[in-house]
Amino acid sequence: MQETVTKEKEEYVYVGKGVPRVDGYKKVTGKAVYTVDVDLPGMLHGKILRSPVPHALIKSIDTSRAEALPGVKAVITGKDTQGIRFGFVETPHMPADMPPLAEDKVRYVGEAVAAVAATSERIAVKALDLIEVEYKPLPAVFHPEKAMEPEAPKIHDIIPATGPSFWQQWGVERESTPQKVERNICSEIHVEIGDIEEGFAKADYIREDRFETNVTAHGALEPHGVVARYTRDKLDVWLSHMGPYMKRYWLARTMGLPDSKVRVHHAYIGGAFGGKIDLFDYEFIASYLSKITGRPVRIVLTRKEVFQSTRLRHPMVFYVKTGVKRNGKITALDVTAIDDTGAYRGTGPVVVYLAHAFSIPLYRIPNVNYKGYAVYTNNPVRVAMRGHGAPQARFAMEQQLDMIAEDIGMSPIDIRLINVREQGEVLPNGDILNSCGLRECIERSAERSDFMKKYGKNRGKGRGIGIGLTSMFSGAQFYPFGATGVVLLHDDGSATIFSGAVEFGQGSDTMMCQIVAEELGIDIGKVSILSADSELCPIALDNWLSGGTFVNGRAVQLAARNAKEQLLSYASQILGVSKEELDVRDGEIFSVKDPSKKISHEGVIKYAIHKSRGKQIVGVGHATPVEGAYWYPSLRTGKGKFTGAYSFSASVAEVEVDMDTGVVRVLKIINAHDCGYPINPILVEGQAEGQGYMGMAQVLMENIVEHDGVILNSDFLEYKMPTALDIPEMETIHIETRDPNGPFGGKEVGEGVIAGVVAAIANAIYDATGVRFHTLPITPDVILKGLKEKRMKEERQ
Amino acid sequence: MYRIDINVNGEAHTLDVPSNATLLEVLRDNLGLKGVKEGCGKGECGACTVLINGIPVNACLILAVDVDGMEITTIEGLARGDELNPIQESFIEHGAVQCGFCTPGMIMSAKHLLDNNSRPTVDEIKEAISGNLCRCTGYVRIIKAIEAASERYSFR
Repeated sequence: MQETVTKEKEEYVYVGKGVPRVDGYKKVTGKAVYTVDVDLPGMLHGKILRSPVPHALIKSIDTSRAEALPGVKAVITGKDTQGIRFGFVETPHMPADMPPLAEDKVRYVGEAVAAVAATSERIAVKALDLIEVEYKPLPAVFHPEKAMEPEAPKIHDIIPATGPSFWQQWGVERESTPQKVERNICSEIHVEIGDIEEGFAKADYIREDRFETNVTAHGALEPHGVVARYTRDKLDVWLSHMGPYMKRYWLARTMGLPDSKVRVHHAYIGGAFGGKIDLFDYEFIASYLSKITGRPVRIVLTRKEVFQSTRLRHPMVFYVKTGVKRNGKITALDVTAIDDTGAYRGTGPVVVYLAHAFSIPLYRIPNVNYKGYAVYTNNPVRVAMRGHGAPQARFAMEQQLDMIAEDIGMSPIDIRLINVREQGEVLPNGDILNSCGLRECIERSAERSDFMKKYGKNRGKGRGIGIGLTSMFSGAQFYPFGATGVVLLHDDGSATIFSGAVEFGQGSDTMMCQIVAEELGIDIGKVSILSADSELCPIALDNWLSGGTFVNGRAVQLAARNAKEQLLSYASQILGVSKEELDVRDGEIFSVKDPSKKISHEGVIKYAIHKSRGKQIVGVGHATPVEGAYWYPSLRTGKGKFTGAYSFSASVAEVEVDMDTGVVRVLKIINAHDCGYPINPILVEGQAEGQGYMGMAQVLMENIVEHDGVILNSDFLEYKMPTALDIPEMETIHIETRDPNGPFGGKEVGEGVIAGVVAAIANAIYDATGVRFHTLPITPDVILKGLKEKRMKEERQ
Repeated sequence: MYRIDINVNGEAHTLDVPSNATLLEVLRDNLGLKGVKEGCGKGECGACTVLINGIPVNACLILAVDVDGMEITTIEGLARGDELNPIQESFIEHGAVQCGFCTPGMIMSAKHLLDNNSRPTVDEIKEAISGNLCRCTGYVRIIKAIEAASERYSFR
């Protein structure tokens, strides 16, 4: 399915152009319907009572007073949902571990303990106050390294298998076994490439460092919500999500329904950033409450609940040991990563894999030893957040690379250029870099920023520049392992796209309309899209898998081509010329040999419908993330193909540090980004800028403060997300490559860049202050402390 | 219940509202103006920004009884039929919209700015929207869109 590039980009009408969003009109007029806007007749309102303690046995729950309150229609506890489990990760050895409502014990502050459905939100809130829960507190643990100590409190003991696992349902004949949790280790990965000892033996210089990253929040402006309507044997839901298929799978399984009896309806999504992937307690609870009351139920979380009870970014500790030759060539890399995954598994086993998997495509390192541990603590649960492991890993490794460069007398640019991978390389897991503009990303961003003229010139004087690299996948072999796209042609010459892909702000709908308008040669105004309805649309890769363009876009492109083939067959009958001689443009099909022989799309489609007695032209296309892979890579060894294409970027940041107050101002961020061919440069730049802003925020401002499992800053006043006044100048440089397997050569764009930005700012702060910061965030107090320590050290010498 | 008379987007309404109902609840639940968004309910994010007698206000922080007799403009009141306000046009054209959840409030803040200052500087634009959080765009294109809109904006 290799893409043949037949047209130069100047010839494209819609692809490669900054076409305005197709959902723009609805969004600027307030007409776009989000889950929180869905009102159904007879709808009840749900509220959830959540644990105020991080680790405790539940002695008793008395719901009688709540049940007696007028307007209350149902009250449920863990007794009603006994044995039901769900989770982002479920393998034969790791059964789902999360109950929708706590049963015998609670494991984090914010865990659901009881829920109410009532005729109004106010009554539901009042009812929660009437529920009495008696807890017997247990010792708790909040840092993963402490949780791994033998005498640490045990958060989980044996996690029972709850029926056939996700794997078994997809044909992997492996029985689910209970998981015995030792030292609170939720999962462990060990990747070995080459010979690590030999690698270090060959090194001229070896360096070891420890880094630790912070907890941050996704901060999507739309609070998480659900509307659930259970009628007889069917569940209809409106959700705030990132792909309907993960949600549908877990709702069907936990509610005991076949997949087809759960319909995830289309709703616009008010931002996601990785934080709306897996099933949440409130989504199951609303569905269950709807089933027992016979009425639709809406639950919209408060902002405090979103912070405390949904998901957060994984904080990670890294021990990094790197060996290099005198010329900067890396000979060996030994990494131990320890992740605090929170009280339930969340994406812990995945993030410890990804911190490795997103590092490997960057540098050619012959000998690697990587150990990752996802560890349970009594903190809130962690999940993917933009970059998922990459920002954490890049913060550590890109900083250490700069430190090594300085130690051996190289520039940050040269040490990267000597180690980066090139197009055509095969990674140790078998992935092929069919496109790779990494070298050019470094060169162009360095040139544009005058990096070498500025670097090191103001060391310790409050002005600095830094660089960071990153790579990101374009879809992986997780259910549904690919995408099908459908394009339906109407008798007025227009087309409708059907795709299970979800539009959560990134521009998925627009990208698909551009592709189809281009392929069919019709006005984009004649293309409409119906997306992310799990019943009406063919399956697509959930968009948290970063295969939105590469896989879902490709499926739709092939569907359009399939429709075009059929269209041309009919046109060839009408015009009396061979199909091969026909092409499409401006809503017309014409002969390339004799352009006077032509007919409109409308004419052909009408002819086709009449001639074939109502057989409408339906184009179908299919794409998969990576050929020759049956399943995602092993979460224990990292072996197996992962993705069909990686995107790359180099970010350069310039900062100014006030040496008296420690306040950092980011002056400019340049992101040189290889996302293959940018199908819509405005959307691509929007993604890069959004990540520039978010990366800056993670380094300088945003930090979830957890004290004994309680988030102390669970609102937007205390959790400081940047405003328009805080942002730097941002520039995107498109490094165009054309990936042979992506639609028009396009690949991932939405989540890689942030990691390079985090690293670039950390490196720039070092350049400005002369102090290396190993822990995130780097706030003014941290900087002042670092400057003071440096001064004292210098005075002693 | 208290009776209030309000004018919303040019239409007069007489409503009976509880004393503790916020303007946001009344706009969304009583009048069905779902374009007004709630992001935090505490006046921190600006998603519910509406104009009360021309002044931008977080509708979640105002009790409905306090706006008796006042004129309220929401995002639904900006376009004239299919004809969009220049700020709305400009937001679409310049890629200032991603998920769209902050967009209605952001546009209302921009409208107040341009109604009172037809040629704002970039710093004035940043200041004017600093009470509206956007999580998607990094603000770059929002600022550009407002700047561009100011060039075609006429005083009203």
